[in-house]
Amino acid sequence: MPLSLNYLTKRIVWIFLVIIGVVVFSYTAIIISPGDPAVKWAGNPRGPNASLAIELARKELGLDKPPLIQVLKFVADVFTGNIGLSIAYKIPVFEVILRRLVATLELLLISYLIAIPLGVFLGIESALHRNGKLDTFLQSLGTVLANTPTFWVGAWLFLTLILLGAYPYGRVDPKIATATGFHPITGFYLIDALVEGNLIVFVNILSKIISPAIAIAIYPIGVLVRLTRALVSDALLEDYIRASVAWGVSRSVIIWRYALKAITPGLVQVIGLAFSYSLVDAMAVEYVVFGREGLGSLLIDSLNYGDFRLAVGLIIIVAVFYLLVNTLTDIIQALIDPKVRL
Amino acid sequence: MSAVISDSRKSPNSSVKGLYQNLTRRYLRRTKFKIGLVITLVVLVLALVSPWVVPYPDEGAGYVPPEASQREKEPPSLRFFFGTDTRGRDLFSRVIMGVRSAVIQITTVISLSLLIGLLAGVLAAYFKGVVEIILNYLVELFISIPAVIIALVLRLALGPGLMTVIASLVTTWWSWYARITYVYARSVMEMDYVTLARLSGLSPLKIMTRHVMRNVLTPVLVQAVTDMGSVLLEASTINFLGLGLPLNSPEWGVIMLEGLSVLEIAPWISAYPGFFLLVTALGFSLVGDTLREEIDPRLRRRWRLWF
Repeated sequence: MPLSLNYLTKRIVWIFLVIIGVVVFSYTAIIISPGDPAVKWAGNPRGPNASLAIELARKELGLDKPPLIQVLKFVADVFTGNIGLSIAYKIPVFEVILRRLVATLELLLISYLIAIPLGVFLGIESALHRNGKLDTFLQSLGTVLANTPTFWVGAWLFLTLILLGAYPYGRVDPKIATATGFHPITGFYLIDALVEGNLIVFVNILSKIISPAIAIAIYPIGVLVRLTRALVSDALLEDYIRASVAWGVSRSVIIWRYALKAITPGLVQVIGLAFSYSLVDAMAVEYVVFGREGLGSLLIDSLNYGDFRLAVGLIIIVAVFYLLVNTLTDIIQALIDPKVRL
Repeated sequence: MSAVISDSRKSPNSSVKGLYQNLTRRYLRRTKFKIGLVITLVVLVLALVSPWVVPYPDEGAGYVPPEASQREKEPPSLRFFFGTDTRGRDLFSRVIMGVRSAVIQITTVISLSLLIGLLAGVLAAYFKGVVEIILNYLVELFISIPAVIIALVLRLALGPGLMTVIASLVTTWWSWYARITYVYARSVMEMDYVTLARLSGLSPLKIMTRHVMRNVLTPVLVQAVTDMGSVLLEASTINFLGLGLPLNSPEWGVIMLEGLSVLEIAPWISAYPGFFLLVTALGFSLVGDTLREEIDPRLRRRWRLWF
C-alpha cells in the first residue's frame, strides 16, 4: 500500500484548516460589508417578529463580544455542525445541503461516465492521426468544446427536448414515481430505482438525467481530447513502446494497453481537477435550466431568501468536496503509479 | 494538487522580449493564432466603440423606451438584427454593448489577480519560513473554493454589482498565479546569479524585481492570456445565476438568464449572447495556446507516428 498514515493525517488536518479559513472568510465578509450584519444573518426579516429574529442573529453571531472571540465561537459552531436552521428550508443547514449534494453528485458522475471514455477515445484517435485532417478537426473541436458555456448548451438541449415533445424538467416524474411507489433511500435515484427493481422509474430518471449530463460533459470532453492527444503523443515516443514494436506486439495492444496504461496517471490528475470545475457547471445547469434539485437550487434559494447560513454551509461543503476529490485523485494516482508515494 | 504545476518542465528563461520578437515571424504563420488574434482584436475594438456603432445605444445599456412594449420578443429582422428581448429592447445593441462589460470583467480580474499573485508568489519564494507558510496556506485555501460560491457570499454581503463579480473572481484567481509564480520563483532563487546578487549586497526589493520577477514574468503572463477565456466563462456563470451584475445590465450571462424564461417562444435571446461568449472565450484561448506552445519547445516538437 503506497499510502502512509502521515499523508492521511496531513489531509485531515488540512481539511480542518481549510474549513477554518472558509469560515473566517465568510464571517469577515458579513461583518465588514456595509449594513447591519445581524439583519443580514437573519435574512432581512420583515413583519412583527423581525426584531426578535435580529436579536437572535446578533446573539448567534456574537456581535456583543470582541471580534476574535466571535470568530472562534463561529468556528466552534461550525465544527459542532450547528450553524442553525436554514432560513429558506427551516431545517438544519448541513442536512439540507447533504441531501442536495447527492443529487448533484449523481449528475456529475453520469456526465463523467459519458465524458471520460469519449474524450479519451477521441484523444487517442487524434494522436494516432497526428497532424492529419482528423487530428486537426478533433483538436479544433476540443478547443471549441472546452470554451463552450455549459448553460448555453444546456439551454439548447432543453429546448430541443421540449420541441420534440419530451418533458426534461426535474429529477423524476412525480406521477410515475407515486404510481409505482418509488422511495428514494440513498438519494442516488438511479441506484435506488435499481435496488427497488423499479425499471419504469429507472428509465424515467435516466431520460431526465441524460441531457444535463451531456451539457456538463462538454467541458471535460474538450479538455480530455486535447490532453489525451498530448499525453499519448509523448508516451508513444518512449523506449518500451519502441521495444514492443520490435517484439512484434500488435498495434492495438500497444496503444490500448501499454500507452493507455502509461497515460492514466496524467489523465487521473486532470480529470480530478476538471471534476471539481464541473461542480460549478452542474450548479449552473441543473436547477436554472433543467429544474433539478441540487446544489444549484440551494444557491438560488439562498440568494432569494437572503439565507446566509445556507451560503456559509454551501461554501464549506463545496470546499470540503474539492479537497476530497483532490485527496481521492492523489490516492488513485498513488495506487496506479509506482513512482508516486503518499 | 501541487503536482499540476511542479510537473511542468518549462524553464523560466524565455524572455518577454523574445516573445514579441517572434510575433511577426512565427506566430502569424499559424492559422490558430491568426483566428485567435482576429477575434481578440475585434472584441477589443468593439469594447471601445460599442456605444457608437450599435443602432440603439440607450436600449443596449438597459433603458426601456415607452414604445418598446409593442415589440416584445420580436424575431430577428432587418430592423432588429438579433430580434428584441423580453422587454422589447434591441437585442443586437444589448449583445454588442455586452462586449464592453466582458472586456472590463476580464481585464480587471486578470490584472488584479496577476498583481496579487505575482507579489505573493515572489514574496513566498524569497522569504522562506512564516511568510511562505502563510501565503501557501492562503493559496491552497482559495484554490479550493470556486468563485461562484464566493460570489454567493459576497452577493449576500455586498449586494449586486460589478464589485461582487470582480471581488469573487479575484479571490480565487490570484491563487493560481501565486502558485505558478512561487514554483518558478523558487527555481530562480536557486540560480547562481541570485546568490551572487545577494552576496554583492543588492537589496531584497531589487533582487525580487530585477532578478526574480523578471524571470518568472513570461510564463505567468502567458498563463494569464490563456486564462482570459475561462475568466469570462466563470464571470458569465456568476451573472447567469443572478449572483453578479443587476438584471438590467448588458452582460451576456444576464441576458441569457433573461432569455431562459422564454426559451420556447424566443430562443434567440439566449442564443446570441451564448454564441458571443463562446467565440470570445475561444479567441483568448487560441492566442494563449499558441503563445504557450511557442515558449515551451516540448509542445512544438516534430512528431510522426512511426508504426
